[in-house]
Amino acid sequence: MNPFRTRPLRRVLIGTVATVSGVSALLALKPHTQTTVTPQAAAQPATPSATPGTAEPSSSASASASASASPGAAAVTKKITGDAIQTRYGPVQVQITLTGGKLTAVDVLQVPEDNPKDQQINDYAVPVLKQEALTAQSASVDSVSGATYTSDGYIRSLQSALDKSGN
Amino acid sequence: MGSGFFSLRATSEVACPQWGGRNTEGHTLATVHEPPRTRRPAAPAPARPRRSPAPLVLALVWAGAAAVLALWWQDTPSVVSQADWLTDGGRIAGLLSGYACAVLVALMARVPALERGVGSDRVARWHAMAGRWTVCLLVAHVVLIVWGYAVQGHSSVWEETVSIVFDYPDMLKATFGTLILFTVGIVSARAVRRRVRHETWYYLHLLTYAALFLAFFHQLSLGSEFVGNRLAQAAWYALYLGVAALVLWFRVLAPVRLNLRHRLRVAAVIPEAPGVFSVVVHGRRLGELAAESGQFLRWRFLAPGLCWTSSPYSLSAAPRPDALRITVKALGGHSAAVATLRPGTRVWAEGPYGALTAGRRSRAKVLLLAGGVGITPLRALFESLPAAPGDLTLLYRARTAQDLALRTELETIAAARGARLFYAVNGPDGARVPITAAGLRDVLPDVAAHDVYLCGPSGMAEAAYDALIAAGVPARHIHHESFEL
Repeated sequence: MNPFRTRPLRRVLIGTVATVSGVSALLALKPHTQTTVTPQAAAQPATPSATPGTAEPSSSASASASASASPGAAAVTKKITGDAIQTRYGPVQVQITLTGGKLTAVDVLQVPEDNPKDQQINDYAVPVLKQEALTAQSASVDSVSGATYTSDGYIRSLQSALDKSGN
Repeated sequence: MGSGFFSLRATSEVACPQWGGRNTEGHTLATVHEPPRTRRPAAPAPARPRRSPAPLVLALVWAGAAAVLALWWQDTPSVVSQADWLTDGGRIAGLLSGYACAVLVALMARVPALERGVGSDRVARWHAMAGRWTVCLLVAHVVLIVWGYAVQGHSSVWEETVSIVFDYPDMLKATFGTLILFTVGIVSARAVRRRVRHETWYYLHLLTYAALFLAFFHQLSLGSEFVGNRLAQAAWYALYLGVAALVLWFRVLAPVRLNLRHRLRVAAVIPEAPGVFSVVVHGRRLGELAAESGQFLRWRFLAPGLCWTSSPYSLSAAPRPDALRITVKALGGHSAAVATLRPGTRVWAEGPYGALTAGRRSRAKVLLLAGGVGITPLRALFESLPAAPGDLTLLYRARTAQDLALRTELETIAAARGARLFYAVNGPDGARVPITAAGLRDVLPDVAAHDVYLCGPSGMAEAAYDALIAAGVPARHIHHESFEL
């Protein structure tokens, strides 16, 4: 092979084909169904994208049960705060509202929102998760595609809240 | 039929070439100084040639790329939706191009192990090839990420682009950096580079340092592989800071030290042939440069108009403890201006670089095959390459007899060393004499047992390489230097 005869077109072709097939192979070899995310250790330090403004995650449950009885109604409304689940992008913590033992609302207390990507994910993922939780009346909901970590944190925080409520 | 080559044995008795010149109109010999008589270089023990670090360097680079891909692999649990395919493809492209950019800068950091070990020309070719690939990867990264985010966020590509550039942390800087890199990539394409002045191309290319600095931060703040992964962040910092340190040392501090220590100045400019000039440079303690025959330095002559460019010129004679010599053919604005240098002009040099040295040979017999301006490094090797009488041959190809620069010196050396000297010029009708395997065997029947050093314009070098292979010289015994990218 003469090193002075370079044949650039051939090199370009080989390079392109090799790169494209290599990257495609890497992507194709990954599982194509949603896998559960391995839980983060409780002692995980805060990620660099978390600004000082984010509240220090508290893993202690603050179960605040407030019974508010409306006159004449037998239903008891309870609000229970779930654990703050550390995800790699920041903590996720939800608060559930149980009315007469039924899950009637899920509110987000903490969710990663440091940069517009996080906000974008929250904008579409949180409503979906809430709707599914209310429909399923449990934490057995599917993760939202593209919001793996937020979904995982949400589901586990929701589950911990349900556990505390005794449901 | 004949091979068209003819040999000349000089009859002069001078043992060592004087650095003088005579242009072919027969003007007087201009001597710079009488060098002391030196002993003939002794016959060598054909030692094992210096091993090139090229395979090791390539292995390291590929290992780094594999590590980068492994980082992506262990960070990504699954690839589910179309958005995932796009975004993860974009992440792989981004990781690879970020890594490749660091490698590209390291290749051009003038690290001696690369410049002298692998060879400046080869390293420059690697840089050029990898550079094209990196810019393409960068395009893929931008397209895939923007598209993937748009699909995921159910917005249009345009909205997503605006959002990414203006709202995401460090992205405005990164966008600037990317635009600079695209510009550099376009200007470096062969079709464009030919039409652009070398200085313009060079100074634009220097902007890549700024581009990489600007783009670095978004990699750490937005790259999902780096979020929460202290080890990966540390490794990325180590990569970029390490490369920056290489650049700072070998491209800035080491040349400053070299020039302060050696204080190079132009001593004389000597015409050798029409349009060909030698420049003798004096300096202190040049032995500490450790320059070898066959190497080149990058010269910056501190004269008006010339100080903006640094040009590589090979040493055209074996380096002496107090003087170096280069021989320049006036081909364009810069090289023509070299002929007008005044003695006493300060010189800023960097080097020595190049791997076309005596360390690469492993056989007793050596053939030096020079074409045109390629005679320069080979003239130095002809003088100092250790070889027994009869084992060293120089074949010099040029268009006409007048173009045979440094002819007198070559003949002197040939006589002193018992080396053989052949010229090949075009026929009287202007027809070029091709270098063929048959022609080589005519002149050197045992050419297949030689180590060959080849230096010349690309057309001649390509043909000569084919001829050498056809004549039976193993490829690993052909050593060449060519700066075509």
